[in-house]
Amino acid sequence: MPEQPVPEQDPIVTKSYALHYVVAMVLLMITLFWALWDESFGQRPWKAFQQQWKDRYTAFLKTAKSTSAQSEKQVEQNPDYQQLQQTYEQAYQQAKPRRDELQKQITDLSAKILAVQNVFTDKRAYANALTYEIETDPSASGKDSKKKDLADYKQKVWTVEYPDGHKEKYNYAQLEEKYNELKDERTRISAELGDVLKPVTEANTKMSTYIADHMVDLTPTQIDGLRKKTEEWDPKIVQINVADANIVDRCESCHMGVREPIKITPAVMMARGEKKPDEYAQAFVSHTEPELLQIHDPDKFGCSPCHQGNGRATTSVEKAHGNYEHWLWPLFAKENVQAGCQTCHAADMVLASGGTEWQTINDGKDLFRQRGCVGCHRYEGYDKEPEDLNSVSQQIKQLEQQKTQNAKVGADLMKQADAAASNDEANQLNEQAVALRVVNSKLDGRIQQLDFQSHSLMQDMKKVGPNLKDVRLKLNKNWIPVWLKKPTDFRPTTKMPNFRLNDHQIQAISAYLWQSAFTDSLPKQKPGNAEHGKELFESRGCLACHSIGEGDQIQGGTFAANLTRVGEKANYDYLVRWIHNARERTRPYCPYEKKDIGPEDYAKKGLPYQFDLQHSQCPNDGHELQVQNMTVMPSLRLSPEDAQDVASYLLTQKKQEPSSYADASFMDDSKLKDEGKKWIRHFGCAGCHEISGFEDEGRIGTELTYEGSKPIERLDFALFTETAQRGGKNAEPITNPEDLQRLPEGPAKSEWYDHKGFFEHKLAEPEVYDKGKIKSETEALRMPNVHLSADQIRALTTLLLGSQETSLPASYQYKPGDSRRDIQEGWWIVKKYNCMGCHQFIPGQRTTLMGMKRYQDIQEQLPPKLLTEGARVDPEWLRRFLSNPSLSTTDTNRNGVRPYLQVRMPTFSFSDNELRKLVRFFQALSQQPIPYIPEQVPTLTSKESDMARSLFSSTAAPCLKCHATGDPQHDKIATAPNFLLARERLKPDWVERWIVDPQAISPGTSMPSGLFKKENNQWVFAGPTPPSFQGYNQDHTKLLVNYIFQLTPEEQRRVAASMGRSSASISPARPGRHAQVTPSNSAAGSGGSR
Amino acid sequence: MDWRQLWEIVSAPDNVPIVGLIPLLIFYIYLAWKQAKANDDLIAELETNPAMAKTHHRKTWPFRPGWQKEVHVWPFLLRIEFLAAMIVSIVLMVWSITLSAPLEEPSNPNLTMNPAKAPWYFLGLQEMLVYFDPWIAGVVMPTLIIIGLMAIPYIDTNPLGSGYYTWKQRKFSIGTFLFGFIVLWVAMIIIGTFIRGPGWQWFWPGQTWDHNRLIYEVNRDLPDLFGITSNLAKAIFGAIVVGGFYVIGGFIMHALFRRYNPKDYKRMSLLQYSIMMFFVLSMVALPAKMLLRLAWHIKYVWITPWFNV
Repeated sequence: MPEQPVPEQDPIVTKSYALHYVVAMVLLMITLFWALWDESFGQRPWKAFQQQWKDRYTAFLKTAKSTSAQSEKQVEQNPDYQQLQQTYEQAYQQAKPRRDELQKQITDLSAKILAVQNVFTDKRAYANALTYEIETDPSASGKDSKKKDLADYKQKVWTVEYPDGHKEKYNYAQLEEKYNELKDERTRISAELGDVLKPVTEANTKMSTYIADHMVDLTPTQIDGLRKKTEEWDPKIVQINVADANIVDRCESCHMGVREPIKITPAVMMARGEKKPDEYAQAFVSHTEPELLQIHDPDKFGCSPCHQGNGRATTSVEKAHGNYEHWLWPLFAKENVQAGCQTCHAADMVLASGGTEWQTINDGKDLFRQRGCVGCHRYEGYDKEPEDLNSVSQQIKQLEQQKTQNAKVGADLMKQADAAASNDEANQLNEQAVALRVVNSKLDGRIQQLDFQSHSLMQDMKKVGPNLKDVRLKLNKNWIPVWLKKPTDFRPTTKMPNFRLNDHQIQAISAYLWQSAFTDSLPKQKPGNAEHGKELFESRGCLACHSIGEGDQIQGGTFAANLTRVGEKANYDYLVRWIHNARERTRPYCPYEKKDIGPEDYAKKGLPYQFDLQHSQCPNDGHELQVQNMTVMPSLRLSPEDAQDVASYLLTQKKQEPSSYADASFMDDSKLKDEGKKWIRHFGCAGCHEISGFEDEGRIGTELTYEGSKPIERLDFALFTETAQRGGKNAEPITNPEDLQRLPEGPAKSEWYDHKGFFEHKLAEPEVYDKGKIKSETEALRMPNVHLSADQIRALTTLLLGSQETSLPASYQYKPGDSRRDIQEGWWIVKKYNCMGCHQFIPGQRTTLMGMKRYQDIQEQLPPKLLTEGARVDPEWLRRFLSNPSLSTTDTNRNGVRPYLQVRMPTFSFSDNELRKLVRFFQALSQQPIPYIPEQVPTLTSKESDMARSLFSSTAAPCLKCHATGDPQHDKIATAPNFLLARERLKPDWVERWIVDPQAISPGTSMPSGLFKKENNQWVFAGPTPPSFQGYNQDHTKLLVNYIFQLTPEEQRRVAASMGRSSASISPARPGRHAQVTPSNSAAGSGGSR
Repeated sequence: MDWRQLWEIVSAPDNVPIVGLIPLLIFYIYLAWKQAKANDDLIAELETNPAMAKTHHRKTWPFRPGWQKEVHVWPFLLRIEFLAAMIVSIVLMVWSITLSAPLEEPSNPNLTMNPAKAPWYFLGLQEMLVYFDPWIAGVVMPTLIIIGLMAIPYIDTNPLGSGYYTWKQRKFSIGTFLFGFIVLWVAMIIIGTFIRGPGWQWFWPGQTWDHNRLIYEVNRDLPDLFGITSNLAKAIFGAIVVGGFYVIGGFIMHALFRRYNPKDYKRMSLLQYSIMMFFVLSMVALPAKMLLRLAWHIKYVWITPWFNV
């Protein structure tokens, strides 16, 4: 350090700190202002947002107003509006003179009142204060003297100076009187003014309502209102506070456009001269789904219950969106935004509002079941049957114990009664014993109910995969190990995931399966006609669930297996039985004894070896048996021959000969069996398959009901924790190109240490978190690769993200108690059996069959749309139809309602439970009251009958041309149901709506619209009517409906005959395609009968 | 070398005081040492020149006539203190504007953070928990520290060195302070901040704080090394070792103190001296125990049913 020169003066005394102080002072002042700025703007970035909002929104409203003004002008051109305006003008002119007069009177009076009021209120205040003192004075003498003061005061006289200058003197009472008098006068005149102006305001309201009703966008007045509101806006925190639910959301402090009544896009909110929407423009948009906001009023629901994020935070965008380390519920990413639905709608299988299905979350919910996630992972609401069944059998057991106990106690009481000392005592004991017997009989009833329950539940219980007890009967033995190696190699679209088994595990597993399977023999089947089988396969509706073809050639639905190579693996005899009725089991299973019951058990009791839904009791112990295969595959009610044909066709579907598979005789090695059992248990195969010895196996995976709210620390990123937290070049751990493709957001480039990242990576490559770890065979992650697509992973991730234990009160969970609950429950069944593969339930929903080439030109061959099914049909009929769609016990190889359809409504053998739920579902979906009370149809007089018949057989709308009649000749070309079914099946009011406008009920139907038109409040037939209709002032529609509901087979035959039932002359070429009834059309159509 | 990990630790708002503490501490020790040196030189000079000592202005500058030996507090001291107060205000304001207090997630009794760290000024105490049982580290030691600090004015009989920096006149007290504060307290805070990672494991700076890290370490108690199994024998053995530490350490310390601080020794009463010895030995015990634990994995020396040392 250089030597410093020694100062001359004493530095302690003489040194000046002025400069130090100046610098420190300046810095202090700067930090002070900095602190002030930070306090008012730095910590309140929403102020900048609101400033920008004011500027940009006003600018936008200005442009919006000019377009709105134009369209308003157009509306104003309308003569209707002109007339309204005239009315207004007239009313205005009429009311004007009287109005002016009254208004002047009011002004005068108001001035007078003011003058009196000034004096009066002052005096009154004094008098009131004095009165209070009197009231509270403790001494009687004090009271008296004060009373005197008050009386004196009220006697005093004061001067009031009126506006016109003259003065008057009043005492207190007079003053009060005058004041009230003037006020009454004013009230009276105001009321009169209201009366005078009433026609004017009414006309004015009519005008503005007219404009509002006839303009698509907002009116200029409304826009002006918005603009005024925006311009006058003072920066402040906008907050939704729902105390009950502990919601405090300040999101709208920045997102100011969310609830604006005008559509705002980022593009219109860009600042002038910008090319891309900046963060402000992005923030100011209106909610993308205003419809959702109507159902979920933000004032009740806030924002964060659906979107998550930190609703209270206002200091930065990251904080508010919860995108920082310490906020546990960050905003859902845009692509997963529907996860928010799941937090409250976990009990719903299908989420739709209005006409929109919420595809991402619905797909997720669907995939979770369809792809067998439920097999390993419990999820509240999914696959409830086994649990319910368990609790039912527990209850039965308990009740039975109670019964035995009661019987014992009863016997004991009787014994005591015999030995009783007195008659009274004996009687009492006897009574107790009798009471116990009654209790037992009640218990019997309860047990019976529970037995029904378990019968239903047993029927409802389904497995995702096939029953592997049947492998010996069903499969090509040598094919099994090849399949287990990698199922997707054989069938790329299969539900069966890839388990990464090594050869030894494959051998052991297949050996166990083979050796534990049934060895029963199957009836031999005759070979069928593959050609005819193909036709049946393609036309009966198999393709609504199954697909066939590979790659681009794939045809059909994704719900069930792709059958392209089924010929390589399947056994013909088994396949025929399966196609004929997939539910037919080889042997029934008794869950009580935990064994498969065979003919020997029946023989022991001398019973015939017969088990089906009607014979479902165990011969050994009387408990409910599992008598069906646990598959959702229904019976198409094909004849045995048809089933053989289809099976023969399917066996032709192969790429290589079944015999070309490598020999797998190791499967008979009994030494492998035990090990196979171990691996089957280890991999949880029984989650999806029925396997001998694993009937009661639990799920091996973790429960996922609340997976989304698991702390991130509990998700094991293993060796990729740091990688995921830091992102960067090597952020992506997956290297397999096939699995990389599955990632919805592509390979990770930045940090992915969050739930979304974990789920997506886990689903794309389940073993990814084992990478780099040294683990034994049994320790390695077991989750198989479910080979999902990127979209499917996004859907499942959305579901999992939304699977949260929410802090909202229970009332926010969507668990309605009314008919909406029926809808909720129904969807689970509809999805379970893939009803949507054939039927349309929601407008706009595409069914699998709709997309198929086969139906492009013959739309009327598609299964009916069920948009208003509940309103259409009688629920009791529907229940019958669903349990047996052929509507016949003898002739089952047909459709009951629409015999003309090639595609077949299958028999799903729904349990009573599911039937009940389905019927209620349809009722609720169409807002039909429960219970259903059938509408009475009035009997027609013979004149009315004649009139109705003329409509029914009118050449302008020959009903029987398209509708089936039961005449086989005709029914071949019919494209609509038989009228004879109507009485039992349909609801009259729906039929009336239907014939008036079928397109509104089922868009695209071949039933023609415009058959009736409205004339003078009366529905009349659009075509020519016979003279008997003259003077008939009832609706023609009602007449026709009543007729249809009273139609007898004889009548129908008569009409058909009278129409010159010449089916040959009516061209079978799409008779339903005429959309409108026009005279020329009808003439042409009935030319033959004239 | 995991620079990112290092940066994450250093830049955490919680750790800013400690990061600031290191250079500040070095600077102020340097400053104090520099002034002490100048003062010591001046003292030495004045001791050889009693005439000068009478008139000298007691500043480290060479003698100038007319410079004052004493000045008033106001304004000469206060103006500097006020300036310092302003500077500190500026620093605090800038700090509070730029770094907000880290507010963490809502507490979850099912999930504790890992590593769970005390506020920085208590990290030394938390680090002590590694070496002693909670009763000793959490209650006895802090009490001793407080009592020891309170006792200092009564033990310290040295009248010199008040109002100016000096080393030569207060070697023992300054040395003890540096050892007790810098080595024990600050060093342990630094260990707690920068070294202790998930699972309170020892991570060298630049090592990744891996939550899944596994290390093999077995701690033993000293009696186990000697094959002592019975509880009573363990307690007696431990008492002997601890007692031995105080006795032998006491003799060594006594010899050193007499040799290097004869003046202080002479001034002190037996009570003062023995209290000082007890605190000094207890203070030395801490690094001794740390060494046993870190180098030889010895958990406890003295095991009793009531406390472990």
